[in-house]
Amino acid sequence: MDLLYLLDLTQSLIDGVLFGTIYALIGIGFTLIFGVMHKLNLSYAAASIGAAYLSLIVVSAVPAPVVYVASALLGGALGWLVYLICFRFVPINNPLATLMSTLGMLLAIEELISHVTRGMPQNFPAMFASSNIEIGQFFLRGDLLFVFALGCVAMVALTQLLQRTRLGLATRAVAQQPIAAQLCGMSVNATNANTFVIAGLLGGTAGAMAGAAIGVLSPLMTLPLTVKGLVVTVIGGLGSIPGAIVAGLIVGGVENVFQFLRGVAERDIYVMLMLFAFLIFRPGGLFAAPGGRD
Amino acid sequence: MDFYLGLAQVIGIHTLLGLSAWCVLHTGQVSIAQGGFFAIGAYSAGMLTSMWNWPLGPALGAGAALAGAVAVAVGFPALRVKGLMLVVATTAFAEIVRLFFFNLQWRVQTPSGLVGPDGSLGFGGIRYFPSNGWSTFEVNVLIWALVAGVMALLWWLDRSRVGTLWRAVGEDELAAQSAGINLTAAKVSAFGIGGCIAGLSGGVFAHYATHIEHNNFGILLATFAVAYPIIGGLSSLAGTLVAVIFIQGFLLEGLRFLGEWRSLLFGALIVVVMLVRPNGFLSRALGVNWGRARRTTADRTPPESGSLYRQ
Repeated sequence: MDLLYLLDLTQSLIDGVLFGTIYALIGIGFTLIFGVMHKLNLSYAAASIGAAYLSLIVVSAVPAPVVYVASALLGGALGWLVYLICFRFVPINNPLATLMSTLGMLLAIEELISHVTRGMPQNFPAMFASSNIEIGQFFLRGDLLFVFALGCVAMVALTQLLQRTRLGLATRAVAQQPIAAQLCGMSVNATNANTFVIAGLLGGTAGAMAGAAIGVLSPLMTLPLTVKGLVVTVIGGLGSIPGAIVAGLIVGGVENVFQFLRGVAERDIYVMLMLFAFLIFRPGGLFAAPGGRD
Repeated sequence: MDFYLGLAQVIGIHTLLGLSAWCVLHTGQVSIAQGGFFAIGAYSAGMLTSMWNWPLGPALGAGAALAGAVAVAVGFPALRVKGLMLVVATTAFAEIVRLFFFNLQWRVQTPSGLVGPDGSLGFGGIRYFPSNGWSTFEVNVLIWALVAGVMALLWWLDRSRVGTLWRAVGEDELAAQSAGINLTAAKVSAFGIGGCIAGLSGGVFAHYATHIEHNNFGILLATFAVAYPIIGGLSSLAGTLVAVIFIQGFLLEGLRFLGEWRSLLFGALIVVVMLVRPNGFLSRALGVNWGRARRTTADRTPPESGSLYRQ
């Protein structure tokens, strides 16, 4: 194990952790929806990628930063749409039906993307792609740093939204005690819809970040993002946002390290085995969700 | 005619997959791992007949047994998690199995050349059916005989004490435990039997497809396996068959005339079905009540609301 090997290993860890903010955002979205509705939204990653695709409509007319904002906003709109179609009219205590309806939505979004783009991957504008920061022997890729920074901004914005606004207060109230929240006059339907919009904003950002980091957008990205997002949610602890953040960075770093060690074909085996290890030793996740009745 | 026979084969195999998921869903666990057991059964049965010239029956049995054993082994740690975490854990397991077979390379020399799984190129040359003169119709008879057998077995289990235990665990785990039911035994037995059935169907799939590769056993297949019982209604066995015919026959094949729009409608129609009948096709009486002699409260309320997503 010579120095060069160690340097390469650390470099992959750094790159992976920076990329991991994408997984962290997707994980936050899953955990947000699960925390409030106790249901899983399988179409979340697909809607995020879809929002990034939609933002490409304006890519030739506006400077690159606006594309990212557009992707976030469109993600919010798509999130509201998913709530309306898949969750609003399904009986509240039937999680299996929403599992299937969101699965149908996932398939529909993937197919729609493939149809509209004729299956061709679309280039996504990356920012700071050509600038790198050198710290000693290590490179911090410019585009990955931008992705990381964007992710941090999104997480901070989310925390502020949840802690400091009435909307965030309503979301947390419905998550902890839906019946008591209703007694206080909060509309559970409206709050759930708002939660989906918030998660969708995050998802749109994540989709844009994924496009920026990888360079292209492709419908093949939706399924791996969904699986990794679910892994992140579970490792971080269901319903826990700091858990999702930490777990996202961990999964991103570990994934890249295993890719360096064993190649891309076996990388996911080890990520899944890591998930199993977490499930055996810490089934509640890194940060078990705060108490409160189901 | 061959087209319809081929379609019948696909429907039969998917019905077996759906039935294996039905077992596990009955105890309140959503398991995306059925695709993994399907793959294990497919690869092992295929390897036994093509590489070591086993006859079909023992090969299918060995494939099913191996898949069942792995299911029991996976079932024990699966008890530590419930609900969504089980979904993710089983998804992870299915991915591990798929990637394992993606990387598996094991070829032996037979009189007809090198045969065996070849990593990413897949596993071809499972020529048991063609070289023993089985026609498509005879394969169909085999598949549907297996479907009938498995349905009869599950119907009998459902009516017996085992089925009652499974339903009790599925409805409310805490109450079942308080009544003295061994949760471990119920869940692991359901997992194991589901794994056996999935392995059996995988073995037959490998033989009629003659070439299998890791892409055939992805998460989508496993999600379909779970979708069939949910869409068909968990309270009746025939519901799974109806759902498979609906999805494979109607949605995938029957809408072929729509051309490009078919795949778009596929997901949308699943959403619509879930909105219109969230408990599944055969959950409320359509006039016929197969698979269950008496209607219980399980038909009126969603079956796993009590235990599925509780932490």
